[in-house]
Amino acid sequence: MKHFVKLIRPYMVWAVVMILVPLLLIVLYSVTTGGNDLINIQFTLENFKKMTEPIYVAVFVKSFQLGLLSVGICLFLGYILAYLITKFSERVQSLLVLLVTIPMWINTLLRTYAWICLLSDNGIINAILGLFGLEPVTMMYTDFAVVIGLVSDLLPFMVIPIHTSLCKIDHSLHEAAMDLGANRFQTFWRVTFKLSIPGVLNGIIMTFLLSISTFVIPKLLGGGQYMLIGNLIENQFISVGDWNFGSAISVILAFIILIAITSMKRIDKDEIEEE
Amino acid sequence: MKKMMKKALCLITGLALLTGMLTGCGSDKPTLKVYSWGEYIDTSLLRDFEKEYNCKVIYETFDSNESMYTKIQSGEAYDVLVPSDYMIERLIKEDGLQAIDWSLIPNADGLDEAVMGEEFDPDNTYSVPFFYGTVGILYDTTVVDEADLEDGWEILRNEKYAGDIYMYDSERDSFMIALKALGYSMNTTNKDEIDEAYQWLIEQRDTMNPVYAGDDVIDNMISGNKAMAVVYSGDAAYIMSENEDLEYYEPEEGTNIWQDAMVITSDCTEVELAHAYINFMLDAEHAYANTVAVGYTSPVVEARTKAAEEDFAGNSAYLPDVEGENDEVFRYQEQEIKEYFAELWTKVKAAN
Repeated sequence: MKHFVKLIRPYMVWAVVMILVPLLLIVLYSVTTGGNDLINIQFTLENFKKMTEPIYVAVFVKSFQLGLLSVGICLFLGYILAYLITKFSERVQSLLVLLVTIPMWINTLLRTYAWICLLSDNGIINAILGLFGLEPVTMMYTDFAVVIGLVSDLLPFMVIPIHTSLCKIDHSLHEAAMDLGANRFQTFWRVTFKLSIPGVLNGIIMTFLLSISTFVIPKLLGGGQYMLIGNLIENQFISVGDWNFGSAISVILAFIILIAITSMKRIDKDEIEEE
Repeated sequence: MKKMMKKALCLITGLALLTGMLTGCGSDKPTLKVYSWGEYIDTSLLRDFEKEYNCKVIYETFDSNESMYTKIQSGEAYDVLVPSDYMIERLIKEDGLQAIDWSLIPNADGLDEAVMGEEFDPDNTYSVPFFYGTVGILYDTTVVDEADLEDGWEILRNEKYAGDIYMYDSERDSFMIALKALGYSMNTTNKDEIDEAYQWLIEQRDTMNPVYAGDDVIDNMISGNKAMAVVYSGDAAYIMSENEDLEYYEPEEGTNIWQDAMVITSDCTEVELAHAYINFMLDAEHAYANTVAVGYTSPVVEARTKAAEEDFAGNSAYLPDVEGENDEVFRYQEQEIKEYFAELWTKVKAAN
């Protein structure tokens, strides 16, 4: 194996040029002013100070609320789905996992547009409600639309890691628990769930990362007035042209995500040590 | 020997990755890069142009002048752009454009004199008009009481229609509405007036819960989702041709008379081809195809007359009133004022 190590070098070059350098540039932009050219820059903390204005803090709070809500729903639905999948024979299981990933073969943009067709005031759902003589419901441009879009987009990222860790559980552990007098619920909670925690945590991290930085889904399903962190950053870069402020928001977001992941990993560790 | 092989392998992999990124073009045909608004052309014309001039056209689209400007600033090079008035003025001031050689555009004879020589480019040194129009309110005659229209732009704060309106997700147009409603110029640099307009928009957001829509407003209004929408006249003409319940209204307090024009960037290398492209678009037949396809008003007289008589007969938005005494054209903003507006607009959109 050792002689393959050198093969990693092109990737190292790639990572430095395409990941490290842009990251450093973002950090540099975030602590400077002077527009988008890096010729006449001045160092400042103004960009970060601007983030403390109530309007921007509210954007952060809202993003986190929605992110956590979507992750919670994903966890609930994803766990049930992953658990049910493990009840099938191995061949059927791989087919079912494939089915879970099928939506990911289609571009997010298209899937989101499909939701627009379903949810809009004159959309398919309201047409069906109309058939039963029910009043149309406004679903577009609400929290509901955004959360449903996020959940449907992120569900595979929750199901797959959970399914993987559920699969790894030795079935004899269940038998042992049952033999020792645990009822089905106790077996599930103290054996199955406990052993699947690494998968659950991975799923939570993945979906949380994606939901907190999303901007296409809230823009399309929430409308232009629906501002989450991702939209705020996009707005600063694309239409306002204030790359310095945009970078500062990105840095803060990256920092918060870093803290979130580290604390998640700590939970993971604690769980293992407990055993 | 083996070691060298491995090194060579690494190098080749690296190079392959790099070249994969850098190449992509390689044909010997001349290439013209055009950057324009989304849904702003009859795309079959591009194929015709390619055939006629044996060239390749790369046609990309943007959804706002600001995003176009940002992309150009970040180093992307195009030959022909189709920005709006104030953005053209900005590009002229920043030396981003090259002068048009009108002798290469014989079809310019067909242009309406009335849309030439606007303030942003008084002698049309740099810009060739492509489409023009106004901004107004598109309303559903079955829902909106026509008497309410007398309030002008204030109808957008009439609580009877709360939750039932689309604003346009554009910084300058939204502030234009607020400034005009308050009786100020939309090109004001007075911060007190701008702050007042900001308050107007914030209050509107609180009471009316508007949706700041982009191009999605077109489909939504065709299916009659909401009672009112702020739209460009060209979009209104197209939407009205699909939904007969709708009417277009320009408040007397004044509105934005805009013009989108074709310009040639200073980076352009295919200057002759760029002129040929502009000339091609001004051909009466081609201009007619464009105007019918997208609904915007053409400055080419022959195409406009034909479209107004045949395709848009009785459609009040196709020939918008551009003579209103309070109407204005957007002007270039100094950097400081521009940033001031941008920050306030971010706050309007972020307010919950």
